[in-house]
Amino acid sequence: MPRTTVNGEVHELALPRATPLLSVLRNDLGLNGPKFGCGLGECGSCTVLVDGVAARACVLTLADVENHSVVTLEGLGTPEKPHPVQAAFIATAGAQCGYCLNGMIMTTAALIAANPNPTEDEVRETLRYNLCRCGSHVEILAAVRLAIEWSHR
Amino acid sequence: MSTPSPALRSDLQARGRSRTDYLTKPGTLAIVRPAGGADVDVAAADPETLEPFVVVEADGTVTAFNGHVDLGTGIRTALAQIVAEELDLGFARVAMVLGDTALTPDQGPTIASETIQITAPALRSAAAQARHFLLARAAERLGADVSELCVDDGVVSRRPATTGDSAGQAGAQSRGDNRYLTYGDLIGDDVIRLALAENVPVKPVEQHRIVGRSQPRVDLPHKATGGLVYVHDMRVPGMLHGRVVRPPYAGVDAGDFVGSSLIGVNERSIAHIPGIVAVVVQGDFIGIVAEREEQADAALRALAVKWKPTPTLPDLSDLASAITKNPSTPRVLLDQGDVDSALENVAVRAPRTYTWPYHMHGSIGPSCALADVSDGRVTAWSGTQNPIPLRNDLARLLDMPVEAVEIVRMEASGCYGRNCADDVTADAALLSKAVGRPVRVQLTRDQEHLWEPKGAGQVMTVDGGLDADGRIVAYDFQTRYPSNVCHTLPLLLTGKVPPTPVVAQMGDRTAIGPYDYENKRVVCHDMAPIVRASWLRGVSALPNSFAHECWIDEMAEEAGVDPVEYRLRYLKDSRAIDLVNQLAERAEWEPHVGPRKREDEAGILRGRGFAYALYVHSKFPGYGSAWAAWVADVAVNKHTGEVSLTKVSVGQDSGLMINPDGVRHQIQGNVIQSTSRVLKEEVTFSDIAVASREWGSYPLLTFPELPPIDVMMVPRPNEPPLGVGESASVPSAAAIANAIYDATGVRFREPPFTPDRVLAALRAAGVSPQADAPALAPPPAVTTTKSRKKVLMPLIAAALGAIGSLGVTTLPWRSAIPPIAPPDPSVFSAATIARGEQLAKLGACFVCHTAKDGAPLAGGLAIDTPFGTIWSTNITPDPDTGLGRWSYPAFVRAMREGLHRDGRHLYPAFPYTSYAKSSDADLQALYAFLMSVPPVRNSVPEPAFGFPFKLRPLMAVWNTMFHDATPFAPDPTKSETWNRGAYLAEGLGHCSACHTPRNAMGAEETGAAHFSGGEAEGWHAPALTSKNPAPLAWDETALYDYLRTGWSSEHGVAAGPMAPIVAELKVFPDADIRAMAHYIASYTDAPPRETIAAQAKTLEEKAAARLHITTETAGGRLFAGACAVCHEQGRGPALFGVKPSLALATAVHAETPDTLLRVMLEGISVPDLDALGAMPSFLHHLDDGQLAALARYVRARFAPDLPAWTGLEATAATIRAHAVPQGRPAEAVTASTEP
Repeated sequence: MPRTTVNGEVHELALPRATPLLSVLRNDLGLNGPKFGCGLGECGSCTVLVDGVAARACVLTLADVENHSVVTLEGLGTPEKPHPVQAAFIATAGAQCGYCLNGMIMTTAALIAANPNPTEDEVRETLRYNLCRCGSHVEILAAVRLAIEWSHR
Repeated sequence: MSTPSPALRSDLQARGRSRTDYLTKPGTLAIVRPAGGADVDVAAADPETLEPFVVVEADGTVTAFNGHVDLGTGIRTALAQIVAEELDLGFARVAMVLGDTALTPDQGPTIASETIQITAPALRSAAAQARHFLLARAAERLGADVSELCVDDGVVSRRPATTGDSAGQAGAQSRGDNRYLTYGDLIGDDVIRLALAENVPVKPVEQHRIVGRSQPRVDLPHKATGGLVYVHDMRVPGMLHGRVVRPPYAGVDAGDFVGSSLIGVNERSIAHIPGIVAVVVQGDFIGIVAEREEQADAALRALAVKWKPTPTLPDLSDLASAITKNPSTPRVLLDQGDVDSALENVAVRAPRTYTWPYHMHGSIGPSCALADVSDGRVTAWSGTQNPIPLRNDLARLLDMPVEAVEIVRMEASGCYGRNCADDVTADAALLSKAVGRPVRVQLTRDQEHLWEPKGAGQVMTVDGGLDADGRIVAYDFQTRYPSNVCHTLPLLLTGKVPPTPVVAQMGDRTAIGPYDYENKRVVCHDMAPIVRASWLRGVSALPNSFAHECWIDEMAEEAGVDPVEYRLRYLKDSRAIDLVNQLAERAEWEPHVGPRKREDEAGILRGRGFAYALYVHSKFPGYGSAWAAWVADVAVNKHTGEVSLTKVSVGQDSGLMINPDGVRHQIQGNVIQSTSRVLKEEVTFSDIAVASREWGSYPLLTFPELPPIDVMMVPRPNEPPLGVGESASVPSAAAIANAIYDATGVRFREPPFTPDRVLAALRAAGVSPQADAPALAPPPAVTTTKSRKKVLMPLIAAALGAIGSLGVTTLPWRSAIPPIAPPDPSVFSAATIARGEQLAKLGACFVCHTAKDGAPLAGGLAIDTPFGTIWSTNITPDPDTGLGRWSYPAFVRAMREGLHRDGRHLYPAFPYTSYAKSSDADLQALYAFLMSVPPVRNSVPEPAFGFPFKLRPLMAVWNTMFHDATPFAPDPTKSETWNRGAYLAEGLGHCSACHTPRNAMGAEETGAAHFSGGEAEGWHAPALTSKNPAPLAWDETALYDYLRTGWSSEHGVAAGPMAPIVAELKVFPDADIRAMAHYIASYTDAPPRETIAAQAKTLEEKAAARLHITTETAGGRLFAGACAVCHEQGRGPALFGVKPSLALATAVHAETPDTLLRVMLEGISVPDLDALGAMPSFLHHLDDGQLAALARYVRARFAPDLPAWTGLEATAATIRAHAVPQGRPAEAVTASTEP
């Protein structure tokens, strides 16, 4: 039975190993954070962290995260106690419709964890393949700047 | 099931409460409107016939209702601000219910930036009316005059007397009275219902505390933490998952074939997929319901459906002509002065045509809905923009009364107009009705791309001119806009609504234009749709303004006047004049005439452009929303044609701004989205349907392309609030085109301004030098490998001759080895069995002897060989169908000589030719293992070989000719490691079985041909010698990495049939893997490690230097959107899994494109190799033309020194015909769970 850790909790799932990870997270574990956007890894709205690295859940299977640790948006923080990156996105209104927000937050969280002081260019480059259709890019970049600042506190 | 986010105690919490609940509960004050404008006594009326606007409850809760929905703009927050302001309540006390058909007022669809401008005043009025009522009651109870009272967060008290004359000032205050009453006290247990009054006095702007101040959005804390906000996240008990199969006429919704093209559905084609609950077919509507989402998804891709041929579309690559030829009816919107005479007398006549492409709304989340049809009622959770019309549609679709349908509007991915939200709600309703359980339907990415009603293309023609003084004296503006009213798709697919095109009058938005020309005629040519279309941000106003604003720019140059000054000559609207002046000043506009063509030494041309628009929308003549103007700064690279926006200065007059931050976000969002549309976006079409099915073929603006945006918001607090959802988009295209003109002197009249289009025009105009050698020039032809059959024919003939001369009767039939009772596995030691299992993995026994979905080692996997199909045998110890009755000698004979226990010859698809080299000890261990696995009863078919290969006895001859059964003998001249590697690779490892070419008789060639490349399951198995086509030689290090992990940074990921082989090798110790790598490396003639590393660096640098061709070609743009996230080195995020470099990839450097195309079509899934990630299949998202463009680009970019491939499109089609997407989704649902 595939075994994986999601948001700190170990799950043994009676599912085929080839089950799409996104489906497991959303439908079996009832998580809303990772969103289905394209199923091709193009848009980033399904982003989760696997062992702390950003991963596109729509192209991974349960087998890919077997014995790895997955963190979703829910695993970062709550409305009452948000993660600094979540808090920064809320504070700067880094979203309009918010469908891409999960991917923006998770990708940013992974970036800051790996590189605590990214430059503006590095931030833009990291988010290059996270698509936002509402055009919230200005607020998102402001959120990332704030998140970098808050992550040092 | 997750619970709704508490602070969004709105739409979802409202659910379950009816109007009656709200309006009859003791302790409520409600402001209501009789539905349909009936003249009734609201106190006595049936509460269900009353539309509530504001309900104040005695417990302090205030719920406000609005028929319009939040499309992601933050309107929920702005509306709550308005209510809180007028009720003098803290903002947090107000909850908004939006677009729930059982509760909210019918205020029509959420379109045309109307919410704040049109629907909010009623809400504001209702809140004010509630406050007036409560104050009057308080005055009575406190014995005071209303004017003496003040309210603070719902607490009414006497206004403190002040020493000065102005009320409410802090400072020297004395409390006149310490009594107070809360709204709750004032309502008590009463049930108060008031009819929404007209002309209710509202608070003056000076007293605003909440409106006009930026308010954080209420939805974001929940969106940012995974709360239940979106319709996609809605789950109810017993819910099933649905998918729909759409017809091939993707994106076309008019014509007699719509709804009647289905020939048949073969449900047996999905019989292998578990969990299928129903396949629902009605006309051209096909839906699948399954227990699990991935089951439904797999069924969607696997279901065999036959359709009638689809009629061809007009040629939409020449859009101007297609639209102009589309039959239309002229509608004169304005005819002022005498345009015809004026035109005859102009000094300069300037007829121009401007063309606008089809665009997508491009919601990031494909539409999704949940419906529950039960007990004669329909509840649908939907992301619709139009709850009321959708409610009617569902009633019609399901033949149910409208009253039985409730639409619960939930948030969805931003839509900027109409996407597939309504369609998918109807899909879910149809499927739920069919199965009697709640069904959630999620559209796929390709379906959303294909079927969303597009923002229509448009053609604007201007004829006009100047008099001798440079004054515009004639303006004849004609606009052609294919209609955009589309039916909810399932109504058409099921035949509920006939597929007759609807001609709408929507091309007239902002068609009149802002300039007061003396002789002016404006005609809108109304026409039927060409493809399915609907309103998209700016509707027809954006294209119309593109024409107005480019043309006046062109005329300014003719007249020798600065373009801003020239505009001001014809603007009469004072707010427009103010805006234009203020923005020009803020952006430091430098007056100039004609293009300045400022160029730097790198060939970058810089320019600025201006444009202005008052977005006039809604039914003609319509009304204006916010005024907007742009100054765009561009940089145009004359060598590549790339246009980048270096700055946008945007000004907007929005009247009173309810939530200034919200307005700013809308302005910025409009700037970014419209920049994306103008520079990058264009829907492409095949000859029958929409062709863009994912983001590579419809790219959006990315973060690195984001221009700095300077927003100027004109403060007008005393003017009514205006819609801000679209205005700032409207001047975009013209400002950018005008800027490109200033930079280059070349006028572009058809967006998108993509590098290839710009470069071609710059070259034609002599601005850019002609290309020396176009990046992707047609290649010299490559000789492709000859068809295998032809080459082999003579050999086959010769061999047959040889066999014939032997005579069939002389062919030996070997004796059977007697059957035994199945051995008791306990006779084998655990260590022997474990060793045997390891060897079974080296021999890839599991790989071939386990069928898809089958039990391990029970056989039945079909293997295609050049001679026919063969099915692998059952090698579990089942006595009747497996090896149960095989003695060890029988097993060894099979392994060494290729004979069945009964004496029949086996075919060399079973690689006994290699296995023969195994040692006795290893074969004993292997036997022990096979005899100890669980027996499985499974008979497999006989090989389907044609003559002569079906004659098994012929294999005796074959063996004589080709098989050497001698066990492995070490070469004393070589090292121990080499010999160990040779034993493993040439024996059970049977590398040569795939990597060595075979002769006409299917035997491996020998000598120099050994390891020189072969074939496996239709994949090219590259040479393991110096003939390997990889750009870097395989040395021991690379081979070790690859065999150990499935990945070499210098070569890539083990794909195709090699992936399971590497996965099986996981159990082997490093020393053995190293030995195999060492042995194979002895064939590759690799240079030293440092040389390889240096070569890799050179190749990467070469590819990096050719990055520019990515933006210049359609194939490159596909790559940027679809592939680069995982393959562009040095770009994008660090992602889980590996990042294979295409500059080093064998498939990119191969003689033929087959492997590359196959990987694109099938993807790569290596679930048994850790942490490599996976590549998705693009089978359903890229067509043959797109694949060909992509492969052409990849070859030119990453293997520039090799000849281009030819015949790509045809090759793609051939490979597509047999492609099986790897890993998921089909396999996900059919693979057995591990024991």
